[in-house]
Amino acid sequence: MMTELYRRHEALVLGTLSLLTIGILWQAVVSAGLINPFFISTPGAVFKEMGVQFADGTLVENILASLHSFVLALALAAGVGIGLGVLAGWFPDAEAALEPFIWFKYSAPTIAFYPLFVAWLGYGTPTIVAIAFLFALTPIYANTLSGIKNVDRDLVRAAHSFGARPLDIFLRVALPGSVPIVVAGLRLGVGRALTGVVVAELFGASAGLGYSIAYHAQLLQTTKMMVSILVIILLGVVLTQMLSWLEKKTDSWRVP
Amino acid sequence: MAQIEIRDLTIEYRKPNSDEPFVAVDRVSLDIAKGEFVTIVGSSGCGKSTLLLAAAGLVNSASGSITINGKEVSDPGPDRAMVFQEASLLPWRSVLGNVRFGLEMQRWKKDDPTERARRFIRMVGLGAFSDYHPHQLSGGMRQRVNIARALAVDPHVLLMDEPFGALDAQTREVMGDELLKIWERDRKTALFVTHDIDEAVFLGDRVVVMGRDPGHIREIIDIDLPRPRTAAMLDSDQFAAYRRRLREGLGEDMAAMHMITEAA
Repeated sequence: MMTELYRRHEALVLGTLSLLTIGILWQAVVSAGLINPFFISTPGAVFKEMGVQFADGTLVENILASLHSFVLALALAAGVGIGLGVLAGWFPDAEAALEPFIWFKYSAPTIAFYPLFVAWLGYGTPTIVAIAFLFALTPIYANTLSGIKNVDRDLVRAAHSFGARPLDIFLRVALPGSVPIVVAGLRLGVGRALTGVVVAELFGASAGLGYSIAYHAQLLQTTKMMVSILVIILLGVVLTQMLSWLEKKTDSWRVP
Repeated sequence: MAQIEIRDLTIEYRKPNSDEPFVAVDRVSLDIAKGEFVTIVGSSGCGKSTLLLAAAGLVNSASGSITINGKEVSDPGPDRAMVFQEASLLPWRSVLGNVRFGLEMQRWKKDDPTERARRFIRMVGLGAFSDYHPHQLSGGMRQRVNIARALAVDPHVLLMDEPFGALDAQTREVMGDELLKIWERDRKTALFVTHDIDEAVFLGDRVVVMGRDPGHIREIIDIDLPRPRTAAMLDSDQFAAYRRRLREGLGEDMAAMHMITEAA
């Protein structure tokens, strides 16, 4: 019975165990005096500080500030990425015209645009949203493009044999056939939008989890930094899991 | 007048990276009467599928013509419906959605498309599986859906491109039997491509034997087996005679194919 239960949840059990081990090691090396807690804090202190920041509202405020930028950036990236991806997937000329920009995006680090955005939009939410938008755009665009472009030829031929018009092929074959791969692109976009938000907040913001890290780093408050880092990780996991769930739901028809 | 008239039909493909056209079908002529079930048999590369695609209006001819009910074929039309190999069902649509699909593409207005689709799903024996998705069905069931989708649009001519090619031998036999039972109801003109000799004889009023390099008609054999055909006929002497004759007709192509399979 126990072994059966274990086998079914092996990954979960082992993952939890390894996380716990790290936590215990973390506490142990500090307690044994091997590493100064000034550099790495301790799990106990971090959880206590988390409670304090939650109680005084700063944690919620920072989460909401980051989420606000994140949602704006992801919505923009989804709209533009899916829009352009559909366009480029359907019209080869559009793909060729967009190709160089995607090339630049793949080869150049997006963060290099940061000073430019600051010059245009100033420090704060608009710049953060712009950077996170650029971070998230590429996978959403690239997945949508390949979904539309690689529409199953057999299905197109079958549709043609029943007299389908180009718009029918687009709306009834290419678009629905692309949904799972577009959602997979959104899942990748979620992680990258969150990264973009945090990175941009590190450089210039007045609220948010990235701002909180940068702020406490300047004051050498390791424990307070750790709280924001942990929350970012949790946020990333939860958001990505939500998209994974959506991906599974939309992907249910594909042959496993 | 024959319902389908194929006159000196030549179909060429342009090979990629080459100016040389590849002749897939070479000056083929064939008349098919209304209500006739014609099977086309030949080894791979003999142009049998290309011929069918041309009749469907999915492939253009280089010269010659195909007319159906006196109208020259240039595009797909509601007078024809095609049954493909199994990969042609929309995987995100249910059985009902797939059978409705052809009706949707043709802007079916004569009666309610959903009700009509349900009727044809029942006809192919899948009434209990309307809400299933293709990946939940067996290969044989998927082909029933494919057949229902084609029949639902009420075509004059049914075109079938190796519809049972991906099925195992037993399922194939059952499906052939089922197809004939359905076909017997209104005897639509049928053109059925296969590489299986038994299937060609069992289903057809006539068997067209095609040869390759380039694809042409080698001979046409009348099958004088009574209808309805039954599985017992497969063991009859008459059937064995047709089988032998077709093997000889395919001759060298078959020998070449066997050598390839044995080498592989």
